[in-house]
Amino acid sequence: MIPIPRKSTPDAQRMIDEHKECIDSMKGVAGNSVLKCATPGDTTIVTGGIHEDLQLNRVLLRMRAMPAKGKLVVICTKVEKEWRIARLSGIRGVPPEFVTDKVYDNEQDPQHDIFLMRLDEMPENDGFPEHFREGWKRRDDKWTVT
Amino acid sequence: MSWMKITGYADKFGVHPGDTIKFFVNCDGPSEYQAEIVKMIHGDTNPRGPGFMEEPIAASCNATYKGVKQEIYSGSYGFVADKPQFQLESVTLQCWIWPTTPKTHPKYWKHGAQGLVTKWCDGKGYGLFLNEDGCVEFRVNDQVITTAAPVRDHAWHFIAASFNAATGEATLYHEPQVVYALDPEIPPVIKKLSGKPAYVPGTPTVIAGFCGSITGAPEAKASVPPGVLIKGHYNGKIDSPRICNRALSRLEIETMKMGAQPGLSERRNSGPSGKLSEAIVASWDFGDGINTLIGKDTGPYLFNATIVNCPTRAMTGYNWEGQIFDWKNAPQQYGAIHFHDDDIDDARWSTSFEWTVPHGTSSKFYAAKLTTKDGDEDYIPFWVVPHVGEETAKIAFMVPTISYMAYANEHLANNAGGAELLVYRVPIMQQQNMFLSEHREYGGSIYDTHTDGSGLCLSSRLRPILSIRPKYDHFLAQAPWQYPADLHMIYWLEKMGYNYDVITDEDVTYDGLARLENYNVIITGSHPEHNSGPQLDAIHNYMQRGGRFMYMGADGWYWVHSYHPAYDGKGRGIVTEMRRCESGIRTWRADPGEYYHQGTGELGGMWRFRGRYLHTIAGTGMSSEGFDISTYYSRTPESNDARVAWAFEGITYDEKLGNFGLVGGGAAGTELDIVDTMLGSPPHTLVVATSAGRHTEGYLLVMEDYGFNQQGLDGTQHPRVRSDIAYHETPNGGASFAFSSIAFCGALPWNNGDNNISKLVGNVLNRFMADGPLPAPPVEAIVHRGRADYDQPMNKARK
Repeated sequence: MIPIPRKSTPDAQRMIDEHKECIDSMKGVAGNSVLKCATPGDTTIVTGGIHEDLQLNRVLLRMRAMPAKGKLVVICTKVEKEWRIARLSGIRGVPPEFVTDKVYDNEQDPQHDIFLMRLDEMPENDGFPEHFREGWKRRDDKWTVT
Repeated sequence: MSWMKITGYADKFGVHPGDTIKFFVNCDGPSEYQAEIVKMIHGDTNPRGPGFMEEPIAASCNATYKGVKQEIYSGSYGFVADKPQFQLESVTLQCWIWPTTPKTHPKYWKHGAQGLVTKWCDGKGYGLFLNEDGCVEFRVNDQVITTAAPVRDHAWHFIAASFNAATGEATLYHEPQVVYALDPEIPPVIKKLSGKPAYVPGTPTVIAGFCGSITGAPEAKASVPPGVLIKGHYNGKIDSPRICNRALSRLEIETMKMGAQPGLSERRNSGPSGKLSEAIVASWDFGDGINTLIGKDTGPYLFNATIVNCPTRAMTGYNWEGQIFDWKNAPQQYGAIHFHDDDIDDARWSTSFEWTVPHGTSSKFYAAKLTTKDGDEDYIPFWVVPHVGEETAKIAFMVPTISYMAYANEHLANNAGGAELLVYRVPIMQQQNMFLSEHREYGGSIYDTHTDGSGLCLSSRLRPILSIRPKYDHFLAQAPWQYPADLHMIYWLEKMGYNYDVITDEDVTYDGLARLENYNVIITGSHPEHNSGPQLDAIHNYMQRGGRFMYMGADGWYWVHSYHPAYDGKGRGIVTEMRRCESGIRTWRADPGEYYHQGTGELGGMWRFRGRYLHTIAGTGMSSEGFDISTYYSRTPESNDARVAWAFEGITYDEKLGNFGLVGGGAAGTELDIVDTMLGSPPHTLVVATSAGRHTEGYLLVMEDYGFNQQGLDGTQHPRVRSDIAYHETPNGGASFAFSSIAFCGALPWNNGDNNISKLVGNVLNRFMADGPLPAPPVEAIVHRGRADYDQPMNKARK
């Protein structure tokens, strides 16, 4: 299993830089992937990111596979104007709660900040399959499937 | 933060000129709101497109109205009005249960005791319950006995309780059917109680809930029965509930499992003896009348229960043998109803205002725009649809309303951890999602699971559907999806000056070919995924008779839907049903034996597994999906074939087609269809452009296209992960053009409609809308073709 690198390591820094470059290049796209647009805001040619950095690819998969409870999401608070970061409750009927006061003026930047927050929050060996959990017996395996 | 103080719905999706449409509005806080009818043109606020567009319509209902709060009372149950026969001194209750949430989180939206079979209100009466700890509980007035044994979820249990008023003895039985080696025994609990049951006048007998209160509050009129608020909604299955008028022995209870056996004679219906039968007050058989809103009582008083909020029926009962899978062939094994605390079939709100649509009103997309002085806003979309025979255009846009209902009030970004894996980025939620996340009473979509985790297979349009809204980006696309995405096409039709009518899935389902045959061309929405059989028949018959068809999206014709016939009295297409059976991309999976629709009794699942491949409808069918970003198309050599080259007039061969757009940044994206002559594409189909080789790792081949999980199925690798723009002729001068990507229409508004996708669609529409049959294809195109053996030996010899 590929670990989630500590933020201070060169591996993490490389991924952070690559992730940011990709997200910045996606500004203006009605969609988003951790890939680099050759022309910013234009998906005609996309390279790098998850297609070329295996470690970044696997770390992002791990982050994306987390169960709903406590998972970070983006909330658009004013259409086309403002976005904020929130956390899912994991309980039906309990809405997500904002976790920071930061208000974004575009929908792509929170993607990068959430990546940084998860690097801080998630243990290096989070979700390792070799770590037995009692919850495995009832699909509580911290790796969601649809 | 408070989200959406104003919400609403209408009694109709499609309204004919001359008819009246009623609007129901909840205005929670503001003292008044303004209502205005608007024509909808473009719903996408993306600054890289033409922006939001609506046109005010002078309508008699345009006015300021008093703000009134309206509540939705969701959660399904059965009830029988207060009857003296239920006002018992001694009683026995029994039923089978298969609970799904016997114990809930303290913050769960309906945390607390759940009613099973009750005639109980405010500490008076009797009833069987699951208490907060997930244990079975028997209440006589405010006295309680419990086994203190938590009920195992997702398993059958037999539950019974009796109370003898003469002796004060109450007995509670909880008998799990599956008993594992280390399960403690659960002996019957016997306790002396005092007094006799008393009753709050008007308390109904309730199955899967209890009478919470009886109130004259105006908003409570929306409850059933009006003013009676049912609480303690139960999640799970209940089978064969019985009520008897004395304390039965355990043996008598056992015999009573057989239920009332009316008309006992020497030749039939052995069961409870005549003497024992005298004890029966009610004996419900939910296997009888599965396609109705009635819970049949086979007891002497015919106390049929009214079933409210459309719980799931045609569910396997405690006695299902696993031999018969269609409830119609063994209804006695389908005596379970699965009740959910978030079922909703009709919000039942009071009318806020109405509009009689004047004759001569153009057939278009409309909405009632609701605003308050504080900046609150909601739109209630509807469509003005001409009467059959009064069409006003050569072009009809077929609004995919069944698909809108399937996606109605979808909660995936909030509930499903896997949503982020699916879209390959962090989901973005909007005010609609935030409102729904705390207002579960608005119900979910057929993509969701119920609050108990079971699949949601019924969706009603008589409730505010906040996903059918302009200015709404869906998390799947980070862009418009369904309704607002279809407005991309509407904008383009308006911008290019075409005259068009709009018709809905409902109209085609109920009117058949008559609804289509007077148009030269039918244009679909961007994602017509969910379809009724009559609708697909009508489309087939239309194209066979020379009709022209423009399939503007992808992942169409995928799931079997049927409108529930029990709601026909309330209008067309009120509740749609769909079961996610053994294959197809599914957010939940139906359980064994539960594949047949409760409404029509037809087999649910994918049309593919009913022998109706997706590709047979318009020539292409779903092959992959991914939601991060979109890409573009290139023409193929087949685009130069004389049969279709006219579509590319004004477009050079090497042009990138659609490397722009308001959905994912390209015309080929989100869900993609391809030609496959082995799956029903007509063998003469031409692939005129394809996006092969350009999709990301986030795109994956659909599971029904392979039998074994293996690597190499993503967009960077597998050639079936692509979109094919395809053309084929149908008999009598008809034809189909399939654009095969949900993102496709998002490219149309780019550069205010001046782009090569717009050019291509314009060329196709201009040819397809012309009167009379299309020009005949060249004679050399008429050759024998196979499916797998596509290029027949005789064709090769001819070359």
